[in-house]
Amino acid sequence: MTRTSRAQMVLSLVAIAALVAMPWLVTSDYYVNIATQIVIAAILAMSLNVLVGFGGMISLGHASYLGVAAYLTIYLTSHAGFGPLAGALAAIAATTVLAMLFGYLALRASGLGFLMITLALGQILWGIAYRWASLTGGDNGLGGPVRPHPFGVDLMNPTAFFYFTLIFLAAAFWLISRFVQSGLGQSLQGTRDQPRRMRALGYNVWLIQWLSFVFAGFWGAIAGLLYAYYNQFVSPQTLHLTTSAEALLMVIAGGTGTLFGPIVGAALVVILKNVVSAYITRWLMLLGIIFVTIVMFMPEGLVPGTRRLRGIMRKSQGSPTTQALPVTEERPT
Amino acid sequence: MTAPALEITGLHRLFGGLPAVRDVSMQVPAGERRLLLGPNGAGKTTLFNLIAGDFPPSRGEIRIFGQNVTKKTAEQRTHLGMARTYQIITLFAANTLLHNVVISLMGLRTLRFNPLSDIRRQKTLWEEARATLAVVGLEHLADRRVADTSYGERRRLEIAMAIAQKPKLLLLDEPLAGLSADERRDVQHLLQAIPRDVTIIMIEHDMDVALAFADVITVMHRGRIVVEGNRADVVADPKTREVYLGH
Repeated sequence: MTRTSRAQMVLSLVAIAALVAMPWLVTSDYYVNIATQIVIAAILAMSLNVLVGFGGMISLGHASYLGVAAYLTIYLTSHAGFGPLAGALAAIAATTVLAMLFGYLALRASGLGFLMITLALGQILWGIAYRWASLTGGDNGLGGPVRPHPFGVDLMNPTAFFYFTLIFLAAAFWLISRFVQSGLGQSLQGTRDQPRRMRALGYNVWLIQWLSFVFAGFWGAIAGLLYAYYNQFVSPQTLHLTTSAEALLMVIAGGTGTLFGPIVGAALVVILKNVVSAYITRWLMLLGIIFVTIVMFMPEGLVPGTRRLRGIMRKSQGSPTTQALPVTEERPT
Repeated sequence: MTAPALEITGLHRLFGGLPAVRDVSMQVPAGERRLLLGPNGAGKTTLFNLIAGDFPPSRGEIRIFGQNVTKKTAEQRTHLGMARTYQIITLFAANTLLHNVVISLMGLRTLRFNPLSDIRRQKTLWEEARATLAVVGLEHLADRRVADTSYGERRRLEIAMAIAQKPKLLLLDEPLAGLSADERRDVQHLLQAIPRDVTIIMIEHDMDVALAFADVITVMHRGRIVVEGNRADVVADPKTREVYLGH
């Protein structure tokens, strides 16, 4: 085992131990709830990272899956007579189908065109949620007591609910890390780097991107389900552009194309939003300053940036260096 | 009778109003080594891109082993047994050489759609990739990142990625461009070692290497085929001197 992978394993174990022990380490339900919010935001950011980091598809409509799954969960369980499990499964399935449709539409373009289509689709949903008041409650939102009681466990208890969300985070982390190393995940990363080459190698670039888009939408739906359980309320704000932008900020700040980056980014944004805002009125300005600072000193994000700095420190202690050569440049003939 | 490896009929491609390929028709029998010659801007790479399916022709028809592929996508043509290299090297710079060949091998396998199977555990896939690198003499660099290799090694990796797919029709776009004399000789030996059941169409400017390699030569100029024949005929034809040698 290399020194880097050993360090990663130690770091992962410390992080897991800290997360599991968290409710005992903090005395207040308030901080347990903050941790729960971080977990939900981390799942959303990790799902967006599948598109942004591993697929090179920058989306500004990822709040769609969070919002639609949340609306459906609350509507189905509190207003349409579905049981908790049936409501959850129906909400996730319907949101995944929506991701299939949105992926089909958005992948008609790439780059800026893709970004604008995702933004437009997200804003259409926001408009529907805002104006179709008879179904969505309009600006007042939709509420209802939706937290289930799986196996008799009362999820109204903050600690129990924190562990409930932690199970989903662990599942998301495991399955997304499996995905990244899988045939489909590797194909997606290939289409991000060299789409033309991938076509020539026999890859259906569109299909690979679409399948990954649906996979990301599925995990966005899981985040939406947990969001609905946590807040027991959903409003058009959940579907708004700012929610998508916030998720994108989490991914970029933490580090795109890394597994831990979105989790770190989610923690940063949620803590600033909830904790720091209690002390500083202009917390958004502080968030902006922090983001600009990250972009200036660690443009690749906090996790890969920290890794790079550690590498520089190690090299300055005497390790040999290698010179990278450009690859796509043509040698003059 | 065996269908030709490649059959092109009346192929025409316009970029805006400018014709890059004009009414090109050619037939390449299976197993042949065909050389495409022509000055810069003759339409050779555009013809390659049309054959590979990078973009559709404005009109005309392309058949690979008798099958009409004119409306098929690039990846569908690859699955019919076609592979290509690029004039401008196109590799996965951050990955190792071995990983690049693995990506090439996966392109023809259903593994490319599997969201759960860890490719690091596909032992036979990695062994096959390593064996392919050995064929092009790069096995000792298998675990090196592409970004840390020389230009000549990258050219050989391009060829390795193409032959890894065991193609029946191989398109090589200037495989010797930018190489030193030693590197050229290595790549030349490598190309000569490709079995005769693989049909090769090559664009190349190095006349000595190219003429020694080809069975049939097609000379293009301003998007048209102006001369076609064996080495002696093409070299002796005054049109070749006019359009390619410039006098």
